[in-house]
Amino acid sequence: MKRRVVITGLGLISPHGDKPDQVFDALMSGQSAVTRWDQGTAAQPALVAPARFEPSRFFTRLQLAGVDRFSQLAVAAAELATTDAGLESLCEGTGVYVGTGMGGASAIEKAFNSHQESGRVPPLTVPAFMPNAAAAHVAVRARIHGPVLTYSIACASSAVAISEAARAVARGDLECALAGGSEALLVPSVVRAWQALQTLAAANTGDPAQACQPFSAHRSGLVLGEGAAFLVLEPLEAALARGARIYAELAGSGISCDAMHLTKPDATGQIRALNAALRESGLVPSDIGYCNAHGTATIVGDVVESQALAAVWGDDLDQLAVSSTKSMHGHLLGAAGALEAVITTLALSQRKMPPNMHVSAQDPACAIRLITKPNTEAPELRAAISNSFAFGGTNAVLVFKQVD
Amino acid sequence: MNTLEELKKLIHQSFDIDPATLTPDGLLEDYGLDSLALGELLFSVEDHFDVTLPDSRTDIKSLEGLATLIDELVAKKTS
Repeated sequence: MKRRVVITGLGLISPHGDKPDQVFDALMSGQSAVTRWDQGTAAQPALVAPARFEPSRFFTRLQLAGVDRFSQLAVAAAELATTDAGLESLCEGTGVYVGTGMGGASAIEKAFNSHQESGRVPPLTVPAFMPNAAAAHVAVRARIHGPVLTYSIACASSAVAISEAARAVARGDLECALAGGSEALLVPSVVRAWQALQTLAAANTGDPAQACQPFSAHRSGLVLGEGAAFLVLEPLEAALARGARIYAELAGSGISCDAMHLTKPDATGQIRALNAALRESGLVPSDIGYCNAHGTATIVGDVVESQALAAVWGDDLDQLAVSSTKSMHGHLLGAAGALEAVITTLALSQRKMPPNMHVSAQDPACAIRLITKPNTEAPELRAAISNSFAFGGTNAVLVFKQVD
Repeated sequence: MNTLEELKKLIHQSFDIDPATLTPDGLLEDYGLDSLALGELLFSVEDHFDVTLPDSRTDIKSLEGLATLIDELVAKKTS
């Protein structure tokens, strides 16, 4: 018998800060954290949404030896989530499920640079950049001995991590899971690689803060973001028994692969994930009031996502309010699904829907009901979804609902 | 500055450990340096003193041992 899984803790290190309520307020009011990149060694100007983070709040200098920034962000966000859940410590059988697209980008770049310059490479390069370092550091800090797992599925990494964690809790494998993701790849070589891929928003014109324009007729691409986000997942019964604050229920998820193309998304694969998520949640399209879209603001991606939503929602498409909050916090890649899961959870618990900013004219090919104005109240909001569609073709959809 | 003082300074810069708490015969692990942090320190030492430390490092558990080894390597290099 499957157990119901609820969200009892949220932790963030994000472009809008580290306090979930304040981050959500900033998003509700339409504030963008996108800025011009100040490390001017990129080939062309770049726009980014860096995480606001002070390592000394969480680490001594000695503790930072060989700890890449992506692990630092993860440890901090995981601790904040644990505290937010009202837990002084996690039971040792807790599971840690972490998504990351790239792992320790700073460590890789530093190693490569010093290899070129002097032939000497820092000795802690390998344990710093390995993609499972973040999960391992979270486990070491919190003394967690359950499954400590890392999922690297590009932009769907942390959504899949959360889905897998929730399923383990639902099955009864775990009494608690810490699930989320971390990404910190704002270093010159990686920013250049993204520029070379021709997917980034134009950085030469207009206000940087308004450069990310998902579903707009004028969109020009994505903005790289940075950060970490974690959720504490528990069985409903256990959360009620300990009197925990319950934000929302993680009602189900759906995962699929396009199996078509490495970088070009495909509506058929996304439809499969959306239908699977609804089926597992026992919900129908008209039950869902809000969709936190994948919406990266690429020319191709936004149209395909709109087509997938239209195909599944059919005549109910008008009832589904949609926004891509990436318009304000950028694309956190491997951590995107986790940050957007936190935002969708807060949308449900506060019954408000954050806007999709910077759309002066919606693309007619994206015929969805876009929330373009800040501060939209949603008193009737019962259930919501968050989409994460990855390079490689993997699609992940998470379904959240109010706890009855 | 003698090698011991330079080492203390390096440890302070790398790990923010108060140099006043570092004594010559104190073990580096007692100051909280695990094997990973020690690896990072030795890498910095090689850079700073322009020496190559041998792979067998049994005598570099204490600051004094490490300083003596560095002095020997520097002397060998300049002789």
